[in-house]
Amino acid sequence: MTRSNDGYRFSRRTLLKSTAAAAALAPLGRLWIPGARAADNPITLGLVTPLSGAQEMLGSFVRHGAEIAIEKINADGGVNGRPLALEMRDSKANPAAATVAARELLGQGVNLQLGAISSPVALAMGPLMQAAGGVVLTCGAGTEKLNHEDYNPHVFRIGDSPYSRQYGLIRMIAERYPNITSWGGIIPDHEYGRTTWAIFVDAMLTVFPQVTGKQPEISRPILIPYGSGDYKNFIAAAMRQPFEGLYTSAYGGDAVTLYQQARPFGLFDKTKVLVDSANEFLVPLAMKDQSPDTWTGTHWYFKANQGNPMSDHLYNAYVERTGNHYPMGWAAEAHAAVYAYKAAIEKTGGDTKAAAIIAALKGLTFDTATGKRTLRAEDNQAVKNAEAMRIQPKAGSADGFEVTDYISVPGDSVVEPPRPGEKLELKTL
Amino acid sequence: MMTPDRTRKAAGTGGATLLALWPLALGMVLFALAPAVLNQGLVFLAGLVLVNIVFAQAWNLLFAYAGLLSFGQAMFFAVGAYTMAAGPQQLGGGPFLGWLLIATLLGALAAIIFGLVALRRSGGIYFAVLTLAFAELVHVIITKTDWLGRNDGLVGITRPVIDLGVITIDLTRGDAYYYAMILGCGLASAALWWAGHGVLGRSFRAIRQDPVRAAFLGLDVDRHRLIAFAISGAASAFAGAMFAPWTQIVTPELAHWSQSTRPVLYALLGGAGSFWGPAVGAILFGAVEYATRTMHGIADITTGLMLLAVVLAIPGGVMGLVMKLRGRAAARSTATPSPASGRPQEQTP
Repeated sequence: MTRSNDGYRFSRRTLLKSTAAAAALAPLGRLWIPGARAADNPITLGLVTPLSGAQEMLGSFVRHGAEIAIEKINADGGVNGRPLALEMRDSKANPAAATVAARELLGQGVNLQLGAISSPVALAMGPLMQAAGGVVLTCGAGTEKLNHEDYNPHVFRIGDSPYSRQYGLIRMIAERYPNITSWGGIIPDHEYGRTTWAIFVDAMLTVFPQVTGKQPEISRPILIPYGSGDYKNFIAAAMRQPFEGLYTSAYGGDAVTLYQQARPFGLFDKTKVLVDSANEFLVPLAMKDQSPDTWTGTHWYFKANQGNPMSDHLYNAYVERTGNHYPMGWAAEAHAAVYAYKAAIEKTGGDTKAAAIIAALKGLTFDTATGKRTLRAEDNQAVKNAEAMRIQPKAGSADGFEVTDYISVPGDSVVEPPRPGEKLELKTL
Repeated sequence: MMTPDRTRKAAGTGGATLLALWPLALGMVLFALAPAVLNQGLVFLAGLVLVNIVFAQAWNLLFAYAGLLSFGQAMFFAVGAYTMAAGPQQLGGGPFLGWLLIATLLGALAAIIFGLVALRRSGGIYFAVLTLAFAELVHVIITKTDWLGRNDGLVGITRPVIDLGVITIDLTRGDAYYYAMILGCGLASAALWWAGHGVLGRSFRAIRQDPVRAAFLGLDVDRHRLIAFAISGAASAFAGAMFAPWTQIVTPELAHWSQSTRPVLYALLGGAGSFWGPAVGAILFGAVEYATRTMHGIADITTGLMLLAVVLAIPGGVMGLVMKLRGRAAARSTATPSPASGRPQEQTP
């Protein structure tokens, strides 16, 4: 070989470099996207939700729910003859990353968005959507500020408000456990946690005496850090409190960690009733027959909605896609969000501009997997049923647990009156 | 690594200094063209890249010039961003330029406080670990402080209207704030270049190469390291302060260790041996992140693998490769030995 050793290495690197450059440049063909993308045949909806990291599991329900709705709508002929398409972005459960993704989608002309299951993300979306002419339907964000002091006309909450969720849960507590009067709480120290606890206490002090004639005693909540892997000190503190009923709004992976660490302490032996604000099947799927007997609030429980064709289709399509027999409520909220957009676009006659869609969504009543729901015109809050289910461990069964009871409380009986721009009045916040 | 001859020449006269800043001028012009050719989403990402460039150059002033490895640079960025977000919100407004100055000074102050504790007590890897620990402390403080929004961060940060008395500049409209960022980040980059290439920069490099000899020659090593740290902290805080009104949201993740790895990655990718290397790295990293944004769940792994491939194939980063090629070309034409490539390993203290 006449070529020098040095020269050979140089040409190999050139090849490496060229390959890397080609790989990097390949997607650049999509950089210059005209603003008139929405005028193409499909109507594109943007989905920004956690698709990696600790909240990925919740995000995957949002993703499947939206995709199932879009597939069904397209199979049925689309919206005004146009198919729906979905552009997905990973929020990484990080508000800053979520706003970056939402802005990037807005830049591509995708102005109708959904997702935003965490409260800080949902709160950050308002000013952003307003400035850029977008709309977002949140699929699970629990902060009361969304339809109160931080109300923004460009943000709609498609799911139940935290107020109706807690009031539904406490009506259940008062009716089924009137003798449990001593309550405590393990609460994540962030927006969602503080909100849910404040409403829980408020509802407890209001509804419980009305139904039972007894005054509840509520211990100081134990605030736990968000995203920590070690809750043992907090669990030990909870063991010292006198409560019989325990309420928690620890969320997602944090809840699984908390429950797993609480078990050896005997926290669930001490607790006569455990109420979990939102984790649905997350904990029992992870802990199987080691999971505690829990009442959990849910966005949608498929058995509570059996016979509703939208619910049955969502359930069957989800099981077919994933093999998982326990779809969770976030799927139904994303599903409802897509149907809300469908109904709104049909109402506007195909106009997808933010102002027209907002006007169409306000006061809209449409069919969902949990029955008819209405988006209140005053504060963009959905009025929908508050659902909860009791999950008990069952050793020897295939899943290790079973749902033994559930409730579905009509939304208009538990939702707070609309007061956009005003703080939610609570006795304890 | 930039050769001493060239830097001395560049810093020697005003004209030569301006000439040496041509990559900055070219970059600013290209960034300024972005709103004309790219959609709004990409212009937004370009704004983030601008901030990241300053952030990376600020980190590299410590690493490649003063020989200090910081794994906690995000704390200064967070100080700047939170000052810009919480200051006007909690104290009812105030002039934007005033807050920008305060944010920058607070970044320098944080760096000085930390530097006084850490620089006298430790060096090398111990210093790097201390930076990491201190940044984590800042992260925890933010998550526990009510008026910083705790874990939820602060939203609704408004873009400013600058009142200069004679004229009023409204940065709330259209791409105005983006152009302000180009100007602000361009000035910060030029200031860092000046800090790295003047008398001060030469002192930093002397200390990096041999602190004992530098001390023997009369340089106050601790004081110079503290100055480098203060400049780097100030520039990082400035980047954070420009960032907050752009994204209109700040969260504790800004002080998280993963944010501290960003300038390190930019420098690895672009080449720590060149002043412009981290800037090139920040731009390339932004492009890779954009290209992989739809690869859900595997985007970070893909980015990591690409970075690994670059580091293994071209250890001096992209700018190291450019310099090497230029060196080869010069060697071919003059038949003289090529200058050394800018390997980051050579920069360590």
